[in-house]
Amino acid sequence: MAEPTQRTHLYRFHKQTGKMTLFAGFEMPLWYKGIIPEHMAVRNNVGIFDISHMGRTIISGSESEAFLNYVTTNNVSRLTPLCAHYSTMCNEQGGVKDDFVLSRLEPEKFFMVYNASNRKKDFEWLVQNSKSFKTKVEHVSDNIAMFAVQGPKAEQTLQKIANSNLSKIERFKCGWTKLEGATVFLSRTGYTGEDGFEIFVWDTPLSNPAKAEKVWNAILEAGKEFGIEPCGLGARDTLRLEAGMCLYGNDIDENTTPLEARLGFVVKLKKERFIGKDALLKQKTEGVKRKRVGLRMLEKGIPRPHYEVWKSSQKIGQVTSGTFSPVLECGIAVAYVPTEQAVENSTVMVKIRDKLAKAEVIRFPFYDSSKYGYRRQSSASVGL
Amino acid sequence: MRVLDYDIPDDLYYSREHEWVSAKGKTAVIGITDYAQKSLHEVVYVETPKVDNQIQQSQSIGSVESVKSVSDIFTPVSGRIIEINEELAESPELVNQDPYGKGWIAKIHLANFDEDMKKLLTAKQYANYIKSLEE
Repeated sequence: MAEPTQRTHLYRFHKQTGKMTLFAGFEMPLWYKGIIPEHMAVRNNVGIFDISHMGRTIISGSESEAFLNYVTTNNVSRLTPLCAHYSTMCNEQGGVKDDFVLSRLEPEKFFMVYNASNRKKDFEWLVQNSKSFKTKVEHVSDNIAMFAVQGPKAEQTLQKIANSNLSKIERFKCGWTKLEGATVFLSRTGYTGEDGFEIFVWDTPLSNPAKAEKVWNAILEAGKEFGIEPCGLGARDTLRLEAGMCLYGNDIDENTTPLEARLGFVVKLKKERFIGKDALLKQKTEGVKRKRVGLRMLEKGIPRPHYEVWKSSQKIGQVTSGTFSPVLECGIAVAYVPTEQAVENSTVMVKIRDKLAKAEVIRFPFYDSSKYGYRRQSSASVGL
Repeated sequence: MRVLDYDIPDDLYYSREHEWVSAKGKTAVIGITDYAQKSLHEVVYVETPKVDNQIQQSQSIGSVESVKSVSDIFTPVSGRIIEINEELAESPELVNQDPYGKGWIAKIHLANFDEDMKKLLTAKQYANYIKSLEE
């Protein structure tokens, strides 16, 4: 039998205002107002997501850095306190165990945030591989609520209720502050492509969610003047897809390497050793045979996971994620194709319900980064 | 009538796949129900059938895509397509806004409506069917 469904601190809010769905064993909001308005609120203004279903683990001890360098692919030694980085854990074959964000809280204390669907697997993997290191691995998901506040107005929204200057926290940096009196850890990270923060409401057990609810409501109130929307998992998926970010279980899994997924920037092959290094080094030397690419539909139709990708009357690959892009107003997809076919601006076909529809291979993100996303030109810099 | 959160006009017939049909003489108009559009939410693309296609009851003649999912359109009647709603190409959201009116999908020249009727539900029957689904 399946394990009983779980709920987050914000369950009451979701149930009252959202359309619910089951995701990774959690009862979560799929949308409140609708995927498109929530998506556009994040691209144009600000949105807030409850992502307390994600897995959170604290890794501490004198050999925690050495341990994390061994179990993850990125270079943990370069991570100074109050910095965060994106990374992966791989199996011995170089397949992705999971992708996650790692923050360094203190010289010997790290905080890992990984996928809800891998909560159990990751924790067990960490514990199992930490045995020969002087380190402690502690699962803290149920004592910390986690929200993402994303969009060009995220900082302004949070600044209204924060007791420190948030503009000092740069992208992929973190810090502590108080929001509406509650102590929170926050990192300037996210899963939308936009500027924004992920907020961790410390010491708030599931059994007593009052503090988490208070912070959530305070953010909603503060964001009102900017048009804040609570956002569900539907918009979370369309936003990350437009940004070209991977979804574990769809775009990456234990049979896909970070090199194939074009996550080579988090694989530091110069590190002395880490799990999966030999396999990844070999693949890097020989060259990857297939690659993750972005597809933008040139004809009508919306690509979905498992749809086939064709070129010159041959099946060459498969869609791993696909949706309607609210910004581009057309179908977009992530697919794996042979390396020689992963050519930007080339045309392929996606088999949508027995019909082949034209698509263009494009660079991530899908949107115009001068207009959307954290790299966009701010109104200040264009002199408005 | 209105059942739960759904409009179910009394003068239409319904399929268990959530299509409606309005028949006048030899001509029928079909579409998807309020329940169907609310389940899909945010329709972003409607794949319509081609005019002159001969279709059989319960056959898939197209699809309705929302951001999150895709759903077949199963024709509730047999016959020949005589017109499709061209406006849906530009404005698929009409299916959400007015599922029984401007969001209609196709007009069909009926082949044998008496036969089709055997599998269709009245508004009252469809309302009970919806209630059973929501339980």
